[in-house]
Amino acid sequence: MTVTPTNAQVGDTLPALTFGPISRTTLALYAGASGDHNPIHIDLDFAKNAGMDDVFAHGMLSMAQLGRLVSNWAGQDRMRALSTRFTAITPVDATVTCTGTVVDRHEEHGRVLLTVTLAAHIDDGTQTLRGEAKICGTP
Amino acid sequence: MGIFNRSTKGHVTPPIEVTLERGALTFFSETIGETDPIYLDPEAAQAAGHPDILAPATYAVVVGTFADQIARRKGQPDILELINGDLRVLLHGTEAYTYHGSMFAGDVVTVENEVTDFTDAKGGKLEIAHITTRITHPTRGLLVEATRGIIHRLG
Repeated sequence: MTVTPTNAQVGDTLPALTFGPISRTTLALYAGASGDHNPIHIDLDFAKNAGMDDVFAHGMLSMAQLGRLVSNWAGQDRMRALSTRFTAITPVDATVTCTGTVVDRHEEHGRVLLTVTLAAHIDDGTQTLRGEAKICGTP
Repeated sequence: MGIFNRSTKGHVTPPIEVTLERGALTFFSETIGETDPIYLDPEAAQAAGHPDILAPATYAVVVGTFADQIARRKGQPDILELINGDLRVLLHGTEAYTYHGSMFAGDVVTVENEVTDFTDAKGGKLEIAHITTRITHPTRGLLVEATRGIIHRLG
């Protein structure tokens, strides 16, 4: 049976989502689309002057993938909360894999609320984001 | 000592109106790889019962950034300027949303930022600014509350 928000149990996993490889073009487009023009993500000269070896991806580009992981599975209407901690930098050319696991299901004020832990990892296994979503599981 | 201007703790920025433009919303959704037509195609969104294309889950940060741009055009400091953020040593630490209602293309929303706190971590090697952004619709009320931790790497 397909796991959905209404039947999900603790331990169930969401269909994984991958995004990438994240090119410099993707970073330029994300800077334009998001309005986040911080040059550390798009200007190699600025990044080097700031002591970095290269530009690196916007953390919010990866959080957007966690958002897609959850909304594709649950539908956005069921999303109550989405949070993340950025635990490592995402380098250029990385492919991001997003995963989610149901860790809690309980009733609150007559409604079912699911807690899903989320993570993003890059190719070499480094965890770049960890987070959590609250999802309505009421039929 | 840190770089952030800690005297701004408790400051609430003047409300800024932001219009969610359909083209900008589509550009964002395409860039993040979204393929569900309710985020891209007004007809598909309306067929699904929405007034127009839906804003993705992390679009609140974009609405906040657009509000910053509008503030700058009005000669007001944006949130980073206000707290004296330094892009050379700045990292995004945390981001969290609480959803009360969806945002759609065509919505005109009001954005307000509050500087809630400044904290230190790793024995003073990091300082963190805590910002809350509230996005409100004139008739549908509070849509999204976003909280953000912005880090300076010190020394």
